[in-house]
Amino acid sequence: MSAVPALAWAGAAALLAGAIAAALRPRAGLALQAVGAALLGAAGAAVALGAPAVGAGFRSDLSPALGIDGLGGVFLALIAAVAAPACAAAADLLPAGRRGAAVAALTGAFVLALAAVVAARDALTLLAAWELMTLVPAIAILVARSDAAARRTIFVYLAITHIAGVGAWVALLALAEVGALGGAPLDGAAGFAVALAALVGFGAKAGLVPLHAWLPRAHPIAPAHLSALMSGAMVAVALYGLIRVLFQWTEPAPVAVAALALAGLASALGGALQAAVARELKTLLAFSTIENVGVAAVALAAALALRAAGDDGAAALALAAALLALLGHALAKGLLFLCSGAIAASAGTLALDGLGGLARRLPWTGGAFAVGALTLAAVPPLAGFVAEWATLQALLRAAGSGSPWLGLAVSAAVVTLAATAGLALLAFVKAIGLTLLGEPRSAGAATAREAPAAIRAAVGGLAVAAVALALASGPLIGALASLGPSGAPDVGLGLGLPDSGGLPVPALALWLVAATAVLAWLAARGGRAAPAPAWACGQPADPRLAWTAGGFAKLLTLTAAVALRPRRELLVETGRDGTVVGVEHRSTEARLLDGALYAPVLGAALAAAGRARRLQSGSLRAYLGYLLALVAALLAAVRIGALG
Amino acid sequence: MSATIAAAAVVQLAGAVALAPLIPGAVRAVERRLQGLRGPSPLQPYRELRRLWRRSGVAPVPRTAVYAVAPPLAAAATLAAALLVPVGAVAPDWGLGGDALLLVGLLALGRAALALAAWDTGSGFALMGAARDLAFAPYLEALLLAVVAIAAVGAGTTDLGEIAAATAERPLLSAPEQWLAALAFALVAVAESGRRPYDNPDTHLELTMIHEGPLLEYAGRELALLQWTAAVRQWVAIVLGVALFAPVGGPWAGRVAALAGLVAVAVVALAVSETAQAKMRLLRVPRWVGAGVAVCAVAVVLRAIGGAP
Repeated sequence: MSAVPALAWAGAAALLAGAIAAALRPRAGLALQAVGAALLGAAGAAVALGAPAVGAGFRSDLSPALGIDGLGGVFLALIAAVAAPACAAAADLLPAGRRGAAVAALTGAFVLALAAVVAARDALTLLAAWELMTLVPAIAILVARSDAAARRTIFVYLAITHIAGVGAWVALLALAEVGALGGAPLDGAAGFAVALAALVGFGAKAGLVPLHAWLPRAHPIAPAHLSALMSGAMVAVALYGLIRVLFQWTEPAPVAVAALALAGLASALGGALQAAVARELKTLLAFSTIENVGVAAVALAAALALRAAGDDGAAALALAAALLALLGHALAKGLLFLCSGAIAASAGTLALDGLGGLARRLPWTGGAFAVGALTLAAVPPLAGFVAEWATLQALLRAAGSGSPWLGLAVSAAVVTLAATAGLALLAFVKAIGLTLLGEPRSAGAATAREAPAAIRAAVGGLAVAAVALALASGPLIGALASLGPSGAPDVGLGLGLPDSGGLPVPALALWLVAATAVLAWLAARGGRAAPAPAWACGQPADPRLAWTAGGFAKLLTLTAAVALRPRRELLVETGRDGTVVGVEHRSTEARLLDGALYAPVLGAALAAAGRARRLQSGSLRAYLGYLLALVAALLAAVRIGALG
Repeated sequence: MSATIAAAAVVQLAGAVALAPLIPGAVRAVERRLQGLRGPSPLQPYRELRRLWRRSGVAPVPRTAVYAVAPPLAAAATLAAALLVPVGAVAPDWGLGGDALLLVGLLALGRAALALAAWDTGSGFALMGAARDLAFAPYLEALLLAVVAIAAVGAGTTDLGEIAAATAERPLLSAPEQWLAALAFALVAVAESGRRPYDNPDTHLELTMIHEGPLLEYAGRELALLQWTAAVRQWVAIVLGVALFAPVGGPWAGRVAALAGLVAVAVVALAVSETAQAKMRLLRVPRWVGAGVAVCAVAVVLRAIGGAP
C-alpha cells in the first residue's frame, strides 16, 4: 500500500472541503483548496516519475472508476502547478463580498472537475467531469461579471464548445461500445471516424484552429486566477483527452494525423501572429495560448507519424516534447495571467498602451512577469525554447525517416514553427517592453503599487518552477518519453539526443550568466556619465510620441497584411471655424477566420432557423395538417413494409 | 587528434574574439577601394573599439537594470553561438553542445536583449530599429531554419560538427540542393550580419537603420561591446556558411588556410554586393526572404524527386 492513493484522496477531500468552505470564508477556503491541489499534484508527480499506477485501469463498462497512471500523473501535476498558486493568489485578486465568495467556491469545483477528467477511468465519469469542466468556469465568469458583453461571450464559448463537444461524446461512447477503453485500439474506418470526432470535440476545447474563436474572447474576461486555470490547465486537459484517444484507444489513419498537424500549424502561426499585434495584455496571452497548443499539437502529430513509421524512440521524443511544451506553457501562462490580475488591480487597466514602467513600481511581480514572458518567447535556455527544440528535433527525424514527400511536408512544418518562434519573440518583447519598461503611460501605471504578499509568493513560485523546469528538462524529457501510452520503451533520452548537437541547458545557463556577469563587470568599470534624458533629437521627450503596441507591430502588420487585413481610420475633429481641434487615429486587424468561416456559418444557421420557424405558423389548421400528413406517411410506410 | 581539436578551439576563439572586427573593417576598405575612394584602414574598427573602451558610458532616463544587462547578454549569447560553429570541420567541445537549432536560438536571444534595451529607454530611434529587427525576425528565422533543415536532413544530424564532417567527405557542393540551400543561406547571412541590401551598417539615419537603432542610446564600453557583437555576428554568419556548405577535409593546415581563404572571399563578395546594390525598401524584405524560402522549397523537391543520397 503506497502513500499515493492516500495523498490523492486527501487532496480531493481538501479541494472539496475548500470549495464548500470558500462559500462562507473565501480566504480560508481558497487556502484549503491550494493545499488540496498541491497534494493531488504530489500524488500525480509521484506516479509520473515512476511510482506504480494506482486505482482502476480503463474500462469500457459504464460503472464509475478512478485511477492515476503515468500520463494522468503528468497532467495532475500540471493542473496542480497552476491551481495551487492560482488559489493562493485568488484570495487577494477576488473582490470581497458574496460574488467573490461564490467565485472562490466555484474555483474549487473547477479544479476538482479538471482533476476528475484526468483521473476518470470510464467513459461516463470522464464525460461528466468534462461537462463540469466546461460549465463551471462559465458560471464563475457570469457570477463575477454580469454585463451584456460577458453574457454574449459566454454564449459564444458554450455554443462552440458544446456543438463541437458532441465529438467528444461520440468518440468516447463509441469507444466504450466496442470495448476499446482498456482493450485493443480501434482501427480501420471506425477508428478513423472516432479519431476525427475526438479531434473536433477535444480540439475545440483546446482552442485549435478553426474551433478557437471562443478562446481569445473568454479567457480575457474571466477573473485572473480563472484565466490562469483555463489557459494553463484546461486547454492542456483537452489535449490530454486527445492524447488518450489518438495514442491509446485508436490507430488513427494518416489523414487524421495530417488533420491534427494542419490544425496545429494553423493554430501556432495564427495564434502567434494575432498575439504579436494584440493591444491588450490578456488578449495577447490568450492568443499565445492558441499558439502553444498548436505547437504541442504539431509535436503530437509528429509522434503519431513517427509511431506509424515504426520509429518508437523518436515518437517517444515527440510525445515528450508535446508534454514539456504543455508543462512550460502551464507554468508561464499561469504566471502571466496571475500577474495580469495583479497589474489590473494595481494600474486599473490592461491596455498595453496604458501600462509601462511597472518593473520599477512592482519589482517582484514584474520580475516574475519577465521570466514567464521570456519562457514563452522561446529564447534559450528557458523551457519554451527547450520544448521548441525537442519538437523540431522530432520533426527533423520524421523528415529523415519517411518518404521524400513526407520530408517536404515536414520541412514546411519546420519553417512554420520557426516563423512562429520569431512571432512569439516579437509578441513577448512587446509585452515586456510596454508593461514593465519605459515611462508609465497612464496615471494608473504611474501610481501602481506592488501586489500583496500572497500574489508575490504565487507568481514568484511559478517563476522559480519555470526556471527549474528548464534546468531539469534533460532528465525530465527522458521520464516523459518513457510513459507514452503506446508503451514506448524507456529509450534513455536526455537532451544529449543522438543525431543532435545536444542541448545542455544547465551548462548553457551557467555560461550565459557567467559571461554576462563578467562582461557587465568590465563594462561597469568604465564608469557612467550623469543621468540625462534619452535622445529625442535634443527636444524634451513628448509622451504623445511614445511607441505604442500598434506602432511596434506596424511593420509586421504591413508585411503580413494578407492574414491580418489591417484597417485604419482617421477621425479629424474640426472646430466651428474650421480649425483642427483633434485627430484620432485608430487601426484594427481582422481575425481572419471570424469573417471567413464563422460569419457565413452563423448566417446560414440563422437563415435556416428562420425558414424552420415558418413551420410554427401558430395556425391550428396547419398543425392538424402536419398530424394528418404524419399519419398518412406512417400508414404508407406500414403498407410498403418499411416498418417491418 | 586532440591537438587538432585544441587548435580548432584556438581558431574559434581567435576568430570570434580577436579577428571578428577585421571583417567589417576589411569589407569597408575593399568597398571604398571599389568605389574609387581611399577609405579607412581595415584596422579602423579596432581603433574605434579602443577609443570607446576608454570612454565612460551614459545613463539615459528612464532605465532599469535591463539597460546595463543587455549589451553583455547579447555579447555572451553571440559568443556562445560563435563557439558552436566548427572551424575546418572540427568542433571543439566547450560544454555547450554543437546544435544548429541552439545556434538559431542564441541569435534570437541577442536580438531580444537589444530590443528590450530599446524599450527600457523608450528612445524613439532605438525602438524604430528594434521594431524592424523583430518584425523581420520571423521571416529570417524561417529561412535560416529551412536552410538548416536541408543540411541537417542531408547529414542525418543537427550537430554542426557532424554536418561539417559529413559534408567535407563529399565532393564540394556535389548535390543540387546544396547549391540552392547555399544560395538561400547567402540571403540570411547578409541579413543576419546587417549588410546591404537588408541593412546599412554605416548609417545612423533613422530611415535606413535596423541593427544600429538600439545602439544609439549606448556609449563607452557598452557601445564597444555592442559593436564587437555585431562584428562577431558577421563572423558567425560567414563561418557557419563555410561549415554547412564548403567544409574542407584533409590536413589541418590546409583546412585553416581554406577557411581563411573562404572568409576572404566572403569579405570581397560582401564588398562587391554592397557596391552594386542600394539598400532596399523595408517592405520588400519579406518578398526577398520569400524568394529564399522558394529556393529552399525547390531544393527539398529536388531531393524528393531524386531520392535521398
